[in-house]
Amino acid sequence: MTTGPDDLHALLGAYVLGGLSDDDHRAFSEHLRSCRQCQTDMGQVSGLPRLLDLAGPEGGPHLTEAPVAVPAPLLTDHDDERVTTLLAEVGRRRRRRRTWLSVVAAAAAVLIFAGGAWLGPLLLTPATPTLPTTHVAAAAVAGSQVRIDIALVTRGWGTQLDIDCEDMPTDGELALWVIDRGGKATTAASWRATTTGYSRVTGATALRPNEIQALEVRTGTGRVLAAART
Amino acid sequence: MPLDDEAVAEIYREHGPMLRRVVWRATSDANRVEDIVQEVILRVWKQAPEADNLRAYLITTARHLIVDQHRAAGRRPQQAQLVDVAETDSALDRALDQVLVEEALGRLQSNHREIVRYLYYERLTVAETSVRVGVPEGTVKSRAYYAVRNLRDILDEMGVTR
Ligand SMILES: [Zn+2]
Repeated sequence: MTTGPDDLHALLGAYVLGGLSDDDHRAFSEHLRSCRQCQTDMGQVSGLPRLLDLAGPEGGPHLTEAPVAVPAPLLTDHDDERVTTLLAEVGRRRRRRRTWLSVVAAAAAVLIFAGGAWLGPLLLTPATPTLPTTHVAAAAVAGSQVRIDIALVTRGWGTQLDIDCEDMPTDGELALWVIDRGGKATTAASWRATTTGYSRVTGATALRPNEIQALEVRTGTGRVLAAART
Repeated sequence: MPLDDEAVAEIYREHGPMLRRVVWRATSDANRVEDIVQEVILRVWKQAPEADNLRAYLITTARHLIVDQHRAAGRRPQQAQLVDVAETDSALDRALDQVLVEEALGRLQSNHREIVRYLYYERLTVAETSVRVGVPEGTVKSRAYYAVRNLRDILDEMGVTR
């Protein structure tokens, strides 16, 4: 079979994937040396084989007839129910955001600094039926503008701590400290400040939520930026 | 229904199934999948509900969330079951890329997908593929061309830029 010059560009696909006859392979290699368009295209798609190899020798579940092994809960169609759960959480977060902002606005209130720490709004909100989650807004200490929200998710192994921070220092290290009922403090997460002053990290502690007395976000030098009692 | 609710529900309906597959295959922890997926959607909704490339944003967010949890678990060996498939961040990245490539192949038009399958994975020639599929060799070549271009576009859209 012969290939006219107009068809030569189209050989790029089979050139990348493989399978061209020797004649076509030679014709396209030669064409590639002089065709700007194909050189540009080649630059974009030449990495594909390496990516395709990631999918294994058979290209993964969509290329084989074998059914995809997905656990049963994923197959059942609970989407409407899931959307409802999700929207309930959206509602909670929206309310929480308002509370949080009003807390920032009231930052001068004596109450906040009276004890050096402030009792954040404690919302007992199960994120899903199986994972009880408590949200705590850590109050910024005097001279600090940070806004921090921590979700305490009860796990079989202890507590997962999802930390949302805004208006944080933009350099240095930061850490979340967990203080138990006996006053013992341990680090549950540490991270590097970002240039945007914004980060979301997840920490973990073996303590159960009811064993946590207080949470503090500190700088690497130990300065407390925000604190919350649970 | 307020706009926020509609936006979140729409993101969830449109991207939820894809995210569930990606998270499930990357973490192999069925109990965590729905959790992570919902958290990803909530975060994206909160940060950039109007993002141009929502799919890439969702996938990147899922990647960060899984990596964060993996690191948090890694500090305490007894909690390593949180993400027990990938031993290190790079292995996790690889696992995610694998899932994304498989996902991209799934999104390819089926007549393009079969060309990728025969030419690339089964190492058939253009002539053999032509017989197998029952179309002229010229069609195999042009389908191979569009398959490659589209696959690149889909991967770009998913944030797989390598
Ligand atoms: Zn050309």
